[in-house]
Parts: sequence; C-alpha cells; structure tokens
Amino acid sequence: MPDHSGFSRAQLLLLYLVLTTSIASGIAIFSSATTITDMLKTATSGLFLPILLSLIVTFLLDPAVQFLERERISRTTSIFIIYFLLLCGCAFLLILIGPPDWKGMFFALKADFPRYLSRANEYLNNLLVGLEGHFPFIANYNIPEKISTSAQQFLGLILKETPKSAMRIGSLFLLVPLFSFFFLRDSKRIARNLIALTPNRYFEMVLDLYDHVSWQLAHFIRGRILEALIIGTVVYLGLSLTDIRYAPILAIIAGITNLLPYVGPLIGMVPGIIIALVDLGVGGQFWWIVCVYLLIAQIILDNFILIPILISRVSNLHPLWVILAIVMGGKLYGVIGMIIGVPIASSIKIAILEIRQYRRTFYRSQRAIIPRSD
Amino acid sequence: MNPFWSNIFRSSGYEDSLAYFLGTIPIFDALKKKDLRLLESMVHVRNYQPDETVFHEGDIGSGMYCIRSGQVLIYLLDENGREIEQALLGPGDFFGEVALTAQKPRIATARTLETTVLIGLFRADILEAVNKYPATTSKILLGLTRCISDRLQYASLKLQHQGKSSYHTEKDQ
Repeated sequence: MPDHSGFSRAQLLLLYLVLTTSIASGIAIFSSATTITDMLKTATSGLFLPILLSLIVTFLLDPAVQFLERERISRTTSIFIIYFLLLCGCAFLLILIGPPDWKGMFFALKADFPRYLSRANEYLNNLLVGLEGHFPFIANYNIPEKISTSAQQFLGLILKETPKSAMRIGSLFLLVPLFSFFFLRDSKRIARNLIALTPNRYFEMVLDLYDHVSWQLAHFIRGRILEALIIGTVVYLGLSLTDIRYAPILAIIAGITNLLPYVGPLIGMVPGIIIALVDLGVGGQFWWIVCVYLLIAQIILDNFILIPILISRVSNLHPLWVILAIVMGGKLYGVIGMIIGVPIASSIKIAILEIRQYRRTFYRSQRAIIPRSD
Repeated sequence: MNPFWSNIFRSSGYEDSLAYFLGTIPIFDALKKKDLRLLESMVHVRNYQPDETVFHEGDIGSGMYCIRSGQVLIYLLDENGREIEQALLGPGDFFGEVALTAQKPRIATARTLETTVLIGLFRADILEAVNKYPATTSKILLGLTRCISDRLQYASLKLQHQGKSSYHTEKDQ
C-alpha cells in the first residue's frame, strides 16, 4: 500500500537496506583505512629506488633509442639492440680490465676504516690543542669524543647494512632493466593518454607545457649524470697517478656526491683527503690529491667546462632553494632524498616558469588583439 | 553475395580508418599509406560538445584541427560583442594551421555547432617527429607550406586587384 511520500513498502525496504549497508561499509572502510594505507606503504616501500633509477636510465638511453629509431627500426627492437650493446660493452670492460676485486677491497676497507678514523681523530686533537690556546672554552665541548662515537656508530651501521644492501643491489640489477625497458617503450603512450584526459579548453596549453617541462627535465638529468660520470673518471685518473689506495671507491664517492650542489663536492673530498693524510702524509702526493679534488675536478672542469656546456641551458635554482631542497629531501628520504631533492625542485621551478611565461604571452597577445579589433 | 563471405573478403575497413581520413585532407595528400599511419600516431582525437569553444581569439595557438565530423563556426567579435561570421566549416575542412609553425595568437574564435570530432595536430608532436621521421615530416610541412602559400597568393592577387580597381576609380574621377 503506497503511503503519503509516494514510496511503496518494497521501495522503502530497499532504501532502508541500501542506507544501512552503505553506512556499515563506510564504517568498515574507515576503520580499515589505516591498515590499508599501511599495507600500501609496505607494498611500495621497496619500489621507490628501482623506479627512480629506471627513470634515470630511461632519460639516459632515450636519445640512443631515438637515434636507432630514425633508421626505421621499431622502438622495441631498438631498445633490445641498445640493451645488447650495453651488455657487450660491460662484458668487454670486464675482460679488458678484469673484474674488480670488490670483496677484497671491502674487507681491506673494513680493516682499515678504524685506523683511518683514529688517525683522523688524532689530527683533529692536535688541531684542537692548538686552538684551545686561543679559545679556552672549546675544551668544555669535548668535540673529539663526540666525533669518535658518532663515527663508530656510522661504521657499525655500514657493517650491519652491507649484506642487506647487497641483496637490494642484486634485486636492482633485475628490476631496473625491466622497468626501464617498459618506460622506454611505453612512456610516450602513457604520457599521451594522461594528456588526453585534460579538458578541451586547456588541451593545447597542457600539451605545450608538458613538452617544455619534459625537455628541460631530460636535459637537466642527462647533464647532471654526465657531469658526475666525467668528474668521477677525472678524479679516478688523477688519484691513480698517486700511490693512494681505494682510488675506484673514492672516485665513485666523488662522482655520486657531485650530484649534490655546493655541499656535495666537499663531502666527496673528505674520505680521499683523510686516506691521503693517513697513508701518504703531508707531502707532494697529498697536495696533488687536494689539487685533483679541488682545482682540477671542481674549479677547472666543473665550473669552467661542464656546467656551462651541460647545465646552463636549463634554468638554475637560487642557492637558497637548492639548500632548502637538500634539507627537505634529506628529511624525507635520507641520502637519496638529498640527491633527488634538487632535480625535483628544479622541475617544479621549470613548470612554474613555463606557466608564468605562457600566461604572460597570453595576456600580451590579448592586449595586442584589442587595439586591432577597434 | 552472402554477407558472411563479403565480410571476410572485404579489405579491413581502410576507408573507415583515421589514416584514410587524413589522406583526404589537402595538406596531407602527398603522404603515402605508410606516412599516414605515422601521422595517425601523431594526431590527437578530441571530442567536442555542441557550442563548445575550440579556441578564442588571442589564445596562444599551438596547432591545427581537422574536422572529422560535425560543424565548426569561425567568427570574430566586433566592439559590441556581436559575432561576425568568417566561415562555416564541415567534415574534411581544417583550420588553425598558421599556428602550427609559430607560437602566435589566434586571429579568430572557433566554436562547434553540434557534437563534433576534431583531429588535432600540434607543434610539440611535429617537433618531435622532425627528429624521428624527417622524410615524413618534411612532406607534411611541405603540404602545409603549399597550402599557406596558395592562400597568400590568393590574398595578394585579391589585394592587387582591389588596388588596381581603386587606382582606376581614382583616375576616372
């Protein structure tokens, strides 16, 4: 029997059922939301680094793939050809130089590290004794004690984490080529599909913006990686002229830390300087090493040659923003966050600049149109 | 013939494909089937509602549109906000091609009159294709140039004609 509101009894029952189920499921979803986000977090926690690395590999390999594609080879085939060539290159290098003795180097470093540390501490102590003559209050702070405890902690962390990170590096060797293969093959299509979602009115603007930002970002990342590679090679060559040990590891550290602007090169220098100081003492070789790090790699090569050629085409960030990006990235993701904080900040800046420029031309063009119409 | 068999023996509907449609547009008529397939992967298919603005006079243009189906009105606005119709375009027509080569403001407004499917070709895709497929892209750009220079010639002939006639009328007076 229909009542006043115009619903039949069955309809009311249905409405009641729908309402109760929706409320119940809402409460259930709300209560389990935290576990769901937790699950998502654990599920994606290991994926950040491989995806980041494969994006970088994609940016690096894309020009090579495009070069092959120009010869009317399909994209998938050209990616396989590039992969094959890379593999051949690695194998050739291994045969030419011989496999590096990573294990031996690691154990030697493990044995040597405390020695380097204590010697560095000694130098620091001497320095402090000299300083205390001028500033007596320094003695209250007990700086050497603090430094040595934190260094011990750092050493312990490295020893504990190394087997774990070896596992992770092994999985990276599997995941990164796989991911970057799909990124290389399908990134254009993914981007096109995403752009196709924009409303008609803004479609042209979004397409243009995407084009400019991706161009700038690709050049920025490619430039940075090339810069790090060249700096690493030069440092390695410079160091291998001396009797210093661990030249390859020191060169890798110098290259990677060079990705961090301003602070990076200084941090990268520290281990090399300490090892040189302890093993070789202050002498001609020590000053040559300082020269390699500072004068040749940083001032001459980086500032005068590499940055003008590789990076200057891309808009640079103000130093203050760079430092803020490093600090914030470090808070979020540790060392990796510090390294990728700067490119992310610069891509945001590029996007903002492009949008602003687009709007400016937009308004200027509108102003230019108005006098013409009357 | 039995429709079942005709279905099998018919060539796979090339006449319905986007590539075939693009080949019927004057700018792209120098392109071969293979080039048209490439062009098909470069363009964007956009669906418009009736009475939707495609672009406004003064917008920064970045590409051209071909009409696959539907109707587009090109118009200017006078001081009183009235529309002055410039052209009414239908399927197979194209517009906005000047913006493909240079980032210039649009000189008129385009609005759809009914549900319309537009095929957009934009500068970003052309620039990318220049590196990847130089031969095909130069054919496209040559077609575009031919089209624009045809119009330029037509316009300058018209101006010349007008100039002559006004000269004559001045002389007669």
